[in-house]
Amino acid sequence: MSSKMILVCDDDPGILEMLEFVLSDAGFEVISTVDSLQVMSMASRRQPDLFLIDLWMPVLSGDALIKNIRENADLADVPVIAISASQESAALAQRAGATLFIAKPFDIFQLSEQVSALIADAGSR
Amino acid sequence: MFTSFNKKAFDYSDEAVKRDFELLIKALDSSVSGIIITDHKQPDNPIIYCNAAFEKITGYARAEIIGHNCRFLQGKDRAQQARQRIATAVEQEKECRVEIRNYRKNGDLFWNELYMSPVRDASGTVTHFIGVQNDVTLRKNAERELIEQKALMEKRVEERTAELRDSEAFLSSIIQTVRESLLVLDPDFRVLSANNHFLRTFKVNSQETVGMPLYELGNHQWDIARLKELLIKILPTNNPVIDFEVEHDFPHIGRKLMLLNAYRVELEGQYKDQILLAIEDITEKRDIERRKDDFLSIASHELKTPLTTVKGFMQMLGQLRPADASERYDMIFGKVTLSIDRLNALISELLDVSRIQSGNIEIHHDFFDFGKAVLEAVESIQNTSSSHQIEVSGTVEVEVMGDETHIVQVITNLLSNAIKYSPDADKVSVHMSRVSDFVKVSVTDYGLGIAPEDQSKVFDRFFRGQELQKRFSGMGIGLYICDQIVKSHGGTLWVDSVLGKGSTFSFTIPVNGQQSNEQ
Repeated sequence: MSSKMILVCDDDPGILEMLEFVLSDAGFEVISTVDSLQVMSMASRRQPDLFLIDLWMPVLSGDALIKNIRENADLADVPVIAISASQESAALAQRAGATLFIAKPFDIFQLSEQVSALIADAGSR
Repeated sequence: MFTSFNKKAFDYSDEAVKRDFELLIKALDSSVSGIIITDHKQPDNPIIYCNAAFEKITGYARAEIIGHNCRFLQGKDRAQQARQRIATAVEQEKECRVEIRNYRKNGDLFWNELYMSPVRDASGTVTHFIGVQNDVTLRKNAERELIEQKALMEKRVEERTAELRDSEAFLSSIIQTVRESLLVLDPDFRVLSANNHFLRTFKVNSQETVGMPLYELGNHQWDIARLKELLIKILPTNNPVIDFEVEHDFPHIGRKLMLLNAYRVELEGQYKDQILLAIEDITEKRDIERRKDDFLSIASHELKTPLTTVKGFMQMLGQLRPADASERYDMIFGKVTLSIDRLNALISELLDVSRIQSGNIEIHHDFFDFGKAVLEAVESIQNTSSSHQIEVSGTVEVEVMGDETHIVQVITNLLSNAIKYSPDADKVSVHMSRVSDFVKVSVTDYGLGIAPEDQSKVFDRFFRGQELQKRFSGMGIGLYICDQIVKSHGGTLWVDSVLGKGSTFSFTIPVNGQQSNEQ
């Protein structure tokens, strides 16, 4: 069975790099971008199994991006984890259609577990 | 009797003449006016007679002056105009009346009202002058004093008027200079005066303002319901209106946020019932505050992202720990991890402040086991502190309506402070209880204590005690956040402290949630 693919988008390259490390270590294939405008075309080509999206991004904000994902027939059921520094953004994430909200800074082991759980959950449906 | 006192009435016998003469002398001596007669036929008009009153007025005895000219009365004061008039009258053989400064024998000045008239013989030749003198010093003094008084009064009135003018100009310059808009209204809300700042701020001139009803000013732009309510309902109750916030969209200058202070003059007299209305434009101030809060919010968000990266990499580094890692390695690793958590806590506090400032603090209202929450908070702090023993007394066995996370945040914050600010003590006491329809928690330390002047300020944002500044790190926002959280629950947070002995921070929370705000 091929490894599951996660698409990560955060405008901060540092956090992106860290997430690539963590998730690769956990056995996932990771594709990432700092440019939120690239996400939809990348997703159409690669069909990821899960999105990890920062909410606070310039140009196209995370919540707008999540809405785009939800409106795309091919991606509508893919789990989306929204991350943000602000606990208040949880409601925003939920309204946009995120599956799960995680506040920065997070525990990477918990994140890995949640990613695995969501992918497993989506696969079983 | 005097009407019969004429020549025909006199008896011309020697005896009779002598008697009549003595009678006349007596009459002259009983006069209160001084009377002298001078002989005009002799050189230099010598005095040939003076009566008793003359002696009394001048202080000279008859024997000292008979044969002298009258000028000795003038002493050295010879340059008087009156003297010239006397000389002229004598020369022209006419009568005259003068007021002249004369001097008594002892040198004292007296004002002499002198009436002098020539005496003519049958041929019309002037033979004598008769001088009648009255001491009018008292009257002259009174006259002089009156004039002086009048001059003094006029001077005083002038001075007072100038003072009033000055103080009015002074007050008016203050009113014109202050950077706050001021209006004076009559009881019918008509503008009596408006200061420069008002005219500038609201871009009007005084012609279109003074004399106009407030509500009609500038095309009814001041016809603001909230303002009307304030002036009509609140002011007549004799309560001044203080810091009343009004937001209004003005046609020319845009939306303004204003702080109104109104005061009705209760003095009797010309200012009675006039209304002073001070208007502070806080639009910009609010905007700056908002931008500062935005900055706080953005900055703390931005700080969290690299912090997340650091934390993530640290966790990975932890996984890569070599099996034979030294004790030193673990110690350093532990310190870095602790610092990351501290940094995260600080940033979270900043975010809390920005949330509170923008009114975004979210309080979830649910019933929770209050006693259990207190014990859990105590346990979590106890786990990180080996220096202090946290002693808990009292119990609360009731479900409380509120936000458990935030209440726990308050307790842990108070506990961390208690430990932090009592470095030489080894225990901290916590007491919880139910008080009426509130629950109460007190956290007592046996540390530095807080100076009385600082006790009211410790709940202010970014306040740091002078002494603390030097010895302890911190931003001065923890207690501010606690206070805001307790307030938003409808409770109170306060401190009792003795410098050098320690502090007790206590708070209350209503058991059934906040009621005051819902009314």
